[in-house]
Amino acid sequence: MTRLRVAVTGMGVVSPLGDSAQAAFDAAVSGVSGVALLNTPFAHRLAAPLAASAPFDPTVHFDSRQFRMLDRVSQFALVAAKQAMAQAACIQADERGGYQPERCGVFVGTGMGGTHTIDEGYHSLYGEDSDRVKPFTVLMGMYNAPAAWIGIEHGLLGPNLTYTTACSSSAVAIGEAWLRVSSGCLDMAVAGGAEAPLSFGSLKAWEALHTLAAVDVEQPSASCKPFSKNRSGMVLGEGAAMLVLELWDAATARGARIYGEVVGYGLSTDAGHITRPSVSGQAAAMRSALHSAQLVATAIDAVNAHGTGTTANDATETAALKALFGAHAHLVPISATKALHGHMLGATGALECVLSIMAMQHCVALPTMHLDSADLECDLDYVPNEARRGVCVRTMLSNSFAFGGTNAVLVLRGGDQ
Amino acid sequence: MLSTFERLRAILVKDYQLTADDVTMESNLESLGIDSLGVAELLFSIEDEYRVTLPPEPVDLNTVGEAVHYIDALVAGRRPAALKPLNAGHSPSYTSAVGVHAQASANLNALVEATAHPSASRVQ
Repeated sequence: MTRLRVAVTGMGVVSPLGDSAQAAFDAAVSGVSGVALLNTPFAHRLAAPLAASAPFDPTVHFDSRQFRMLDRVSQFALVAAKQAMAQAACIQADERGGYQPERCGVFVGTGMGGTHTIDEGYHSLYGEDSDRVKPFTVLMGMYNAPAAWIGIEHGLLGPNLTYTTACSSSAVAIGEAWLRVSSGCLDMAVAGGAEAPLSFGSLKAWEALHTLAAVDVEQPSASCKPFSKNRSGMVLGEGAAMLVLELWDAATARGARIYGEVVGYGLSTDAGHITRPSVSGQAAAMRSALHSAQLVATAIDAVNAHGTGTTANDATETAALKALFGAHAHLVPISATKALHGHMLGATGALECVLSIMAMQHCVALPTMHLDSADLECDLDYVPNEARRGVCVRTMLSNSFAFGGTNAVLVLRGGDQ
Repeated sequence: MLSTFERLRAILVKDYQLTADDVTMESNLESLGIDSLGVAELLFSIEDEYRVTLPPEPVDLNTVGEAVHYIDALVAGRRPAALKPLNAGHSPSYTSAVGVHAQASANLNALVEATAHPSASRVQ
């Protein structure tokens, strides 16, 4: 089917790499890691007390009344969406830039919802033997709270949808928003993801899966080592990234600055193992994304890999890239930015989408940091340890693969092309 | 020692960014920005501040004065006037209401016990 072009006119970020898209991109280019040893009262009870925490002060953004209603995940989502909407400036206070609010939607991914609220509630009931939890526990813990609050804050009356497909949640959210805008069902969408998984209960649950990285004792900030032979797992991160998607023609007509374009979206499901990734499943999602963008594989100039730093993912993803690209796989720069911002689960695909768009704008291939040991199974060009500047990258894939087997891939272009 | 009203006013001023002058016994809660969710939150704060356990019945509070009377009744062990009836047939006295609740809890506990251990205790 013929699709309408969809422009990215706003991007907002709260992340371990900084509280704006520009700050996160600058850190990613410079290889500055947001991973650090956790400094929390429960850190000593974790096998590997590591995380990529967002340097985020909610009191700057919310008064105490708002704050009491918002789990950390909703705080992240609201701040990122506010940045994106301000950048897009597509809805003024009294005039909606020609958009009917009924034709504006919100699409948010989150893997774990209001974990801090749920954790606190359980602690109260089981740890403190209390018979009550805070009155807003349901409203703060529910998975659709971040999306709902964005809709309320900006008066967006169209679909308000939350996607939870673990680590691909926000790529799915952006892709589903793209489907609706590009098919003419909506004029504008706020799309992205938010995650706040650094509660004690959540960290312990992830620890129990034995997928988290061991601490690099010499350099804890380098503990996440995607595609490196000595990789030992992923590091959890927190934050949010939101994009404003608009019809290209409408955006250009109002003179909006266009930062990038979503041109394709593919989904596949492994339907095999609940955690073990599949070469064929990952390749199928990339193939589906290319098909939707009506592009051949050689049109892809760079890839933002899922690149978690786990033994299984990185080898599987490498094999899937080879299966899809053939010989072209060795010519494509592949970046795994999770080495720096950690795995932000339901928010990570959205942040990587933002970083990819900015990388194309700035003609740079982002580095895969802490890649200090070659792995025969991971033998592609991962842009090791240093950004590559002056690279003409016109079209990128951004991969997001998930526990549960939902693989989502976005095809992106830089702006004003 | 601060009165019930003064302590409640301090909670409202802190949680809703009000000034002390905004809050009188006659103040309507909704006009202070305290909607139904706000009342739920206020009840939680009242439990903490006055060290009382709220009865399970829904409560109908519209003004600061009604909230003050509600708290005073709880602290004194009386049935607050703002409580809505649990059901049509129960006694209006707080002691009786607690009795109704205790009996309902006892029946529920017996049912839970019978469900958990069906061979040890059979519900007739």
